[in-house]
Amino acid sequence: MKKLFGIILLTLALTLSACTNAEDTFDETKNITVYTRDTTSGTRAGFMEGIGFADAATNDSLLVEGFVIKDNTGIMTSMTTDQFGIGYVSLSSVNDTIKPLSFEGVEPTLANVINDTYGLKRPFMWMVRDAGDYSSETVEALVNAFVAFLGTTDAQDIINNNGAIGLNATQSWDDIKANHPVTQQDNTGVVVRFGGSDSIQKVAEALTNSFTSKAGNFTAEHDHTGSGDAYKRTQDPAIKDTSVGKDVGFASRYFKDAEKVGVETSDFGQLAWDAIVAIVHKDNPLNNVTADDLKKIYEGTYATWSDLLD
Amino acid sequence: MQHVEIPVIKQHKEKRIKDRFVKIILLSFTLLSSSFIFIVAGTILVKGVTPFITNNNGLGSVSFIPFLTGDTWLIGESFHSNLYSIGFIIASTLMIALLSLVVSFPIGVLTALFIAKVAPKKLANILRTVIELLASIPSIIYGLFGAGIILNLVYNFSAAIGYQSKGGNSMLASILVLAIMTIPTITSISEVAIRSVDKNLEEGSLALGASKTQTHFKVVLFAAKSGIFTSAILGIGRALGEATAVSLVAGGRRSGYSFDLLDTTSTLTTIMLEGMKETIGLDYDIRFSVGIVLIVVIILTNIILNFVKRKVGNVNVK
Repeated sequence: MKKLFGIILLTLALTLSACTNAEDTFDETKNITVYTRDTTSGTRAGFMEGIGFADAATNDSLLVEGFVIKDNTGIMTSMTTDQFGIGYVSLSSVNDTIKPLSFEGVEPTLANVINDTYGLKRPFMWMVRDAGDYSSETVEALVNAFVAFLGTTDAQDIINNNGAIGLNATQSWDDIKANHPVTQQDNTGVVVRFGGSDSIQKVAEALTNSFTSKAGNFTAEHDHTGSGDAYKRTQDPAIKDTSVGKDVGFASRYFKDAEKVGVETSDFGQLAWDAIVAIVHKDNPLNNVTADDLKKIYEGTYATWSDLLD
Repeated sequence: MQHVEIPVIKQHKEKRIKDRFVKIILLSFTLLSSSFIFIVAGTILVKGVTPFITNNNGLGSVSFIPFLTGDTWLIGESFHSNLYSIGFIIASTLMIALLSLVVSFPIGVLTALFIAKVAPKKLANILRTVIELLASIPSIIYGLFGAGIILNLVYNFSAAIGYQSKGGNSMLASILVLAIMTIPTITSISEVAIRSVDKNLEEGSLALGASKTQTHFKVVLFAAKSGIFTSAILGIGRALGEATAVSLVAGGRRSGYSFDLLDTTSTLTTIMLEGMKETIGLDYDIRFSVGIVLIVVIILTNIILNFVKRKVGNVNVK
């Protein structure tokens, strides 16, 4: 009987609590609930690098005690419930059910990403082999055509549909395809090797998927191992001609100066931005964060909202 | 005479060949379907044992005892560490499954009693269809319901009692989602068990002067207890094995034994699911090891419950 009474009481309490409205005032003394993606997430890697906490990208033990792991949608819906939560999502997911935070005083908008003022983002870069350094002329012509394709509205749409932000393009593939006669012939059996950053893999595969059908059905081989390999496997003399060599490499960061030595400026460029936004509940009075604030939240130095708001 | 018999014998022969042919076909299908269990179990076993017996591409082998007892999923950087452990997850998995049964079992059995004995025939038929429909709803739908409604409820409930919940992601939310999911299973099986109780027992009880309520609770439920117990076993099996729905409300706890109903948690299934699609190497293989542990946990639970069931005994059930 006691048990039964307990169960009834619990149900009653649950129903009652559903009816009470959330308070309008924000209680700053509450703890910050930290939401994060799991260690395999590219968004997490981009976020942690962006706030200067790169070590935490793949290491849960560095994060504040008691963090919550959710996927992209999970973090979005949690921010509609949890007044005291903070999380991050890619800019393409942001909508008006949550409150996106400005980063270092700059609002997270598409325009601010493209004009390079919004800081919590990383560039998606490509790098190719030197002219004449390909296994065949067909492969070289295909790679040149692919690079040209990256600058078209067709590619921009694909990039945007896969969660990244394409650069401003004006021409469509149909406008420029005549400049690349190789795409008109049958390229069945020709293999072009793609590699580099695994964060870009999804976008890169979507791009090549669409491009092979436009370019004589060549085979796109994807082997993504990390941004560092974008340069090494296309340009590093010690590695580029081994079995892991690539024709096109992607990096989810700017190339370092050491990686640009001896590389023609026409051999690399940017294809997209990946912008990440820190988000909170709409009731949260916070509007702006700095990289340092976010790092202190995620490592646990800031435990309550008053640490941040005062 | 002979020229009459020959076609008969021939017919017999043909029939026998056909019979044998069908038998062979049936046998081969049976062999095929039953061999899947060995293929599946074999693959999981081989994959799941790999982290313990190889050096995992230079990371070193995972040690077994700390793996089973430790309180942190992974110490250090993923892809660069072999310090996995799931002790705290085994504990929370068992606790969640048991508590979800505590919620769903009484509700499920009493619903079954109502449908089988109390409700008018028409209503009973409608309710039976509803329960069957509920049982066939995919778990992801329950998960979405949990993420949309139950998380909110738990969050507000916690706030009402002065506890700061992490967006409702908690053991309680997992328990409630699983309870809702297992009620249809428990109800439909218990209902069959209750309906198959010998009418004579019931009539005997009524003839002795017991009221209907007394008869239902003291005779019918008692007589159907074996079937009702089976429903509990299947219910807990579903609770232990559910991944999708729970992973949407559990919160992905990564360290620390925790028996706090309102704090985040993880189960063996959610830890397998999270990141599964994106990961490689040891971080991938270790999920198969978790799978083996899950299978062992389910088998052990079943053995224990079946043992209890036998102890509880059986009454004249048709």
